[in-house]
Amino acid sequence: MNGNSKYEDRSNENKQDGKNTPSTTTSVFKSPASITNPGVLRGLRTIQINSAREIHARTVAARHPAMNRRPITTTSLKGDSVNDTHISSTTTTETINISTTTTIPKPRHICNNPNNPLCAHCGATIIPSPQATLPLADNPSVTIDDWVVSTMKKPILKTQEFEDWENNKLKGLSLPEMIFGNSYVRIKNTKYNWSLEFNTLDALSRVNLKDSGIRVSYSNKWIKSKQAKKTQLPDDLVSTSYDNQSLKIVNHYDWTYTTDYKGTETPTNQLQRDDAVKLPIDKLSRHDPIIFFDDMILFEDELADNGISVFNIKIRVMNERLLILARFFLRVDDVLLRIRDTRVYVEFNENKVIREYKEYEGNYNETIAKSKSTLQYSRDPKAALRDNEWVVRNIPLVNRESEILILQ
Amino acid sequence: MLDRVFQQIKAGAHIEEEAVYEVCLRAQELLVTEANIGVVDTPVIICGDLHGQLHDLWTLFENNGDVSDNRYLFLGDFVDRGFYSLESFLLLLLCKLRYPDRVTLLRGNHESRQITRVYGFYDEVLRKYGNSSVWRACCEVFDYLALGAVVDGRIFCVHGGLSPEICELDRARAIDRKQEVPHEGAMCDLLWSDPEQVRGWAVSPRGAGYLFGRSQVSAFLHTNGLDQVARAHQLVMEGYREMFGGRLVTVWSAPNYCYRCGNVAAVMRVPEAGEAEYRVFESAGGPAGGLPVRGGRDYFL
Repeated sequence: MNGNSKYEDRSNENKQDGKNTPSTTTSVFKSPASITNPGVLRGLRTIQINSAREIHARTVAARHPAMNRRPITTTSLKGDSVNDTHISSTTTTETINISTTTTIPKPRHICNNPNNPLCAHCGATIIPSPQATLPLADNPSVTIDDWVVSTMKKPILKTQEFEDWENNKLKGLSLPEMIFGNSYVRIKNTKYNWSLEFNTLDALSRVNLKDSGIRVSYSNKWIKSKQAKKTQLPDDLVSTSYDNQSLKIVNHYDWTYTTDYKGTETPTNQLQRDDAVKLPIDKLSRHDPIIFFDDMILFEDELADNGISVFNIKIRVMNERLLILARFFLRVDDVLLRIRDTRVYVEFNENKVIREYKEYEGNYNETIAKSKSTLQYSRDPKAALRDNEWVVRNIPLVNRESEILILQ
Repeated sequence: MLDRVFQQIKAGAHIEEEAVYEVCLRAQELLVTEANIGVVDTPVIICGDLHGQLHDLWTLFENNGDVSDNRYLFLGDFVDRGFYSLESFLLLLLCKLRYPDRVTLLRGNHESRQITRVYGFYDEVLRKYGNSSVWRACCEVFDYLALGAVVDGRIFCVHGGLSPEICELDRARAIDRKQEVPHEGAMCDLLWSDPEQVRGWAVSPRGAGYLFGRSQVSAFLHTNGLDQVARAHQLVMEGYREMFGGRLVTVWSAPNYCYRCGNVAAVMRVPEAGEAEYRVFESAGGPAGGLPVRGGRDYFL
């Protein structure tokens, strides 16, 4: 150990240790080039991590319109089914081949936002670039016939907005930690002036303001220990720090933030309940090129590290249809798992909308017993309980509803 | 050895298991000698949650000056969430080992075996080393971290908040802290409790954990002859938030938390004399300028 060197003295770092130090002297850690420089790699696992970083860097780069205009994948131009690896592996090598452009059907959609990352017809799928979730708002939008699809991603609420929600808009609710209160997903038919929007305020306004009855796993133990302490403490302490209220829950609300939010319909009640209606899984399973995709969180709370409560929404738009999946996922560690899924499907040619809502709920211990016997998760069964796709397949369905609307 | 690990962290290179053990062992030896509630002089830079966002920790040091000539106090939650929990924690330990009297590290609720199993640190170590020994070694260090500190005899620093069992600070000094964070008791309260607009002490609707209001803060400060409570533990969009007429402040030092919240971060600079100042900073951008959209575009059903 060199007693004279200063940790923060960057000008000396090359002299101190030539072996492990890349040639750049400032902000070494921030440069992707130095991270992927094989000279600094050590050990097999590092290489795996670095290759993950490279894939990630390629993904980011592939989405950047400026870099995509020239190199382009011929496969996506032909409209074949494409996958992620395909795009990233061919982006840098292929160039525009004029002859293939004749096979592209005329684009049906219009990109409404000039900042949209380019779509399949122009270069890549529309996926908002990850950087755009930073202070800048990201608001991609696309039009197909009479249908306008738009999403908005903005940062979490500012303190001022947060306090307004807490004191006025959602009075009585202690708000979740992360609220993406200005984000939304919206689909609108301009001809019939019908729209469906998923936004955070409406999702949270459906959280119950009564006691949910759910307690964290160690609640009993905690309360008992406090009661025991209370009787042990000298009288003066009891009177000063514990008053009669001290072991009571004062603000009742559903701290799991469970919501049955299915989206906000305008005008309301156009969708008609018909549980016999089913989603056309065959059509939705086809790998038609995706021309618009987004994935965002409306709110999230870690329940003071007792699990997670998160409302996530995904949308994918293909040439002929779109699908939205809005999922509320709740895990209370050692207590329960809960999922509420809302799927919205639109068939553009028929102006048909189907909305399906499903509730799932399972006991934590029963579910983790299942994950222990799943090969993939046998080593770390708790990992399965963080994977909401695995959870939804392994907890019981308790309720299903569906609705339909044909605009005509 | 310490210098080499430091350079590896800086270069984003793999750190050998043996080196991690060595750092952890030395850190334990040093931390075991410290009191539950440390005494810290001014000037000092108080920093909140970091959550494994190594790039942002570098920014924090860049903006506020080298550890060699500044005093730093970290309020805990060094690990979980971010991609570089291990590196962030090791970096802080290296700073502590090099400048023991300039760096104070407090324990956050995430410096715990149970919590790191669920919220990322354990998985990160498993991914980087293929086994959990390094995670175990770090957890051993967690058990020795201090629980609080008093800056200049006037600011009580703690990760979460107050406890009804600790009216006088001396009671916190008597806790046997060298253990996993328990689910109940004073130690748990210090790391977990939250300020709220409540009267008296209230139990969270979750059925465990305290909420404390303005009157508890006033009483605690009065009893112990202090001016202010500085804590972390809760995300704030602006990086810091004063409550109860400035008698309590929440400091948050993880900008763009989880690489997607879009918040700024702050540190609280307490000078030798005069008012404390908050210095706000933004995200360094994280790994390679962004975060992969989970799974990217997919044919979800």
